[in-house]
Amino acid sequence: MIEIERLSKTFRTETGADHAALLDISLSVPQGQFVSILGPSGCGKSTLLYIVGGFVRASSGQVRVAGREVTGPGPDRGPVFQEFALFPWKSVTGNVIYGLLEQGVPRGEAERRVAKLLEAVHLKGYENFYPKELSGGMKQRVAIARTLAYDPAILLMDEPFGALDAHTRTLLQNELLSIWERDRKTVLFVTHSVEEAIFLSDRVFVMTASPGRQKAVIDIELPRPRVRSELLLDRRYQETVVEIERLMENRVE
Amino acid sequence: MRAALKLALVHAYPVALLLAVWEACVDAGLVRKILLPAPSAVFARLAELLQTATFLEHVAQTLERLFAGLAIATALGVALGLAAAASRPAGRMIQPLVRVLAPIPKIALYPALILILGFDHASKIALVAADAVFPILFATLHGARMVEPKLLWSARAAGTSPRACVFKILLPAALPSILTGFRIALVISCVVVFLAEMVSSTDGLGHLLIRAARAFRTVDMFVPLVTISLLGLALNALVAAGRRRLLAGYGESR
Amino acid sequence: MRLRGLLSLPGVPPLVSLLALLALWQLAAAVLGIEGLPSASSVLASLPGVLFDLESLAEIGASLERMALGFAIAVATAIPLGLVMGRSRAVAGFFGPLLTLIYPVPKAALMPIIMLWFGVGDFSKVLVIFLGVSLPLVYHSQAGARAVDEKLVWSAMAMGMPARRRVFSIILPSALPEVMLGCRVGIAMALIVMVSSEMIARQSGVGNLLFNSLDMAQYRTVYATILVIGAIGFALDALFERVRRRLTFWAEAREDAVAGGG
Repeated sequence: MIEIERLSKTFRTETGADHAALLDISLSVPQGQFVSILGPSGCGKSTLLYIVGGFVRASSGQVRVAGREVTGPGPDRGPVFQEFALFPWKSVTGNVIYGLLEQGVPRGEAERRVAKLLEAVHLKGYENFYPKELSGGMKQRVAIARTLAYDPAILLMDEPFGALDAHTRTLLQNELLSIWERDRKTVLFVTHSVEEAIFLSDRVFVMTASPGRQKAVIDIELPRPRVRSELLLDRRYQETVVEIERLMENRVE
Repeated sequence: MRAALKLALVHAYPVALLLAVWEACVDAGLVRKILLPAPSAVFARLAELLQTATFLEHVAQTLERLFAGLAIATALGVALGLAAAASRPAGRMIQPLVRVLAPIPKIALYPALILILGFDHASKIALVAADAVFPILFATLHGARMVEPKLLWSARAAGTSPRACVFKILLPAALPSILTGFRIALVISCVVVFLAEMVSSTDGLGHLLIRAARAFRTVDMFVPLVTISLLGLALNALVAAGRRRLLAGYGESR
Repeated sequence: MRLRGLLSLPGVPPLVSLLALLALWQLAAAVLGIEGLPSASSVLASLPGVLFDLESLAEIGASLERMALGFAIAVATAIPLGLVMGRSRAVAGFFGPLLTLIYPVPKAALMPIIMLWFGVGDFSKVLVIFLGVSLPLVYHSQAGARAVDEKLVWSAMAMGMPARRRVFSIILPSALPEVMLGCRVGIAMALIVMVSSEMIARQSGVGNLLFNSLDMAQYRTVYATILVIGAIGFALDALFERVRRRLTFWAEAREDAVAGGG
């Protein structure tokens, strides 16, 4: 589904020097797989996501989605950002229905779908609320619903739960998984939390600190559906956590 | 409700005090009435004139020029501001141009405008537009630049074209800033149209002041001043109310 | 690519846009062909005539003098007032509403009334300029004083710094960026009020020069004088920006809406 081939990205800083954010990244993601991109702060993992999304252009290398090269953003790759990025002048409904209207779905049908989506993310009753009236967790639910609305084949999630408190984070992780289980979309999930990466994904792509290079790709063999309380006591889970944490420790920041 | 009333009173008290002192000074004969008429006299005259058709016609002329100039300035300022923010090459052309033109006192252009557009409406409207466009342009540019890129990315991913993004995302996101610039432009427009009418005109509030000055009718000099000030305050309040309405859902506190 | 490098040098883009404007002007004059819009080239040719005419130079000089005087007095009175208003609720509560009331009144429009009281001499003109400049100065000084981080003040108090020193060591420097911004707006206002008040009073000065030339149908001189005024405005602003940046290099730059009008 996603083919990332020898991707590199260099930024020009204000002083004119070149800063290598990504170096020679290659990754192949089959359809329906949930892949976490894990690494320390500043390792370029978000940049990698943005390039796949078509928001940032690579310096060298290629990204192909469903066989076609990525040249810009599109409704086949739906983003969810850590800052929520909701349209503040639109209500919850206005935000979620946006993609549907852009895709040309007639209003009546679009409203029906929005109602279903809001129910799926447990936001029924909040249709006419504005983003500023919502908590962080609710905003992220709206953001997820908004992206799911135009049914992208791929979900690009950039530390979506990073701005939330631990409790809400756990809640949303579970909600995300249950939503994902239904459609089994392809997901690229950026995070700096080892536990989150292992809990959610089929594979974990571990990156080094800046410039971001591939350190390791770990397959997560834990069965689904995953229940947090069970996993915490599962030996294989614990070993994987230790293994990956050791991998990440191996570098002086 | 009581808190709002209290606030209004607190704000009004210095003004009321000033008016009271002013009135007292004139009454006590401390100031010559011919030089400084009492507030009561000015307001009485204003009330009187507001019932005459000719005075209202002058007010209408001033307002006509004001709104026309403001409308042109808004259309131009928003368009140029959005263009400069959305497109790098456009920004490179517009910004230096604005930097060169902004520090020039636009009122100095008035004689040239008169030469090109004539002595009547057009030159005044053009002057108002020239002065009002800058705050609106700056505000639009600033507001559009501050838009979080991820908002644009979200829209692009949902299928919006880059061009459509300008109207669907940049414009609404920059709206709070644009409205602030509009308020500044409004006050500037009131000032400029009045001055232009004072310098060279056959009608309008500014002209009325000059006419009264030539005839040494001091009260009639104060009336147009008070009128334009009240108009300015009233329009400002209207825009502020409209702004609250328009931005009801926004997260911004501006 | 060399062109792009050239364009990114500071000062070049404004120059390029200036040339572009002149070119546009030349084109418009040729296309419209009216007497009221002489070609840019002919106006530029008549510039020396305006600049080297001793009488007009004297007028321009006198205008600038009055402007400087009005500005200086405003700085000396409005900034302290604004600063006090920023630190004292009571003072702000008293003067604030009064200033809000005066804000929409065109200062140059007060010329006829002020001339009635004080005559047609320099005093009236300086007074009007003083009034015009004071408003932005007070507003920005107040904002600057109000925005002083209280924690800085508390730290100073904890260190035992007396009130007077706190004003000079903490409050003034903290408020300086905003005060400087107010001065920048003030300079623009001074120029505007000066020109417009002279257009209204018609005794002397650049504003008077402008309309004299207009009355005498010396169209090229009108445009040349406008260019001179524009250049003065640009130069004053650019100069002041330099000073401001030097004095407050540690603060963040702000692109504020420059207020115009009288």
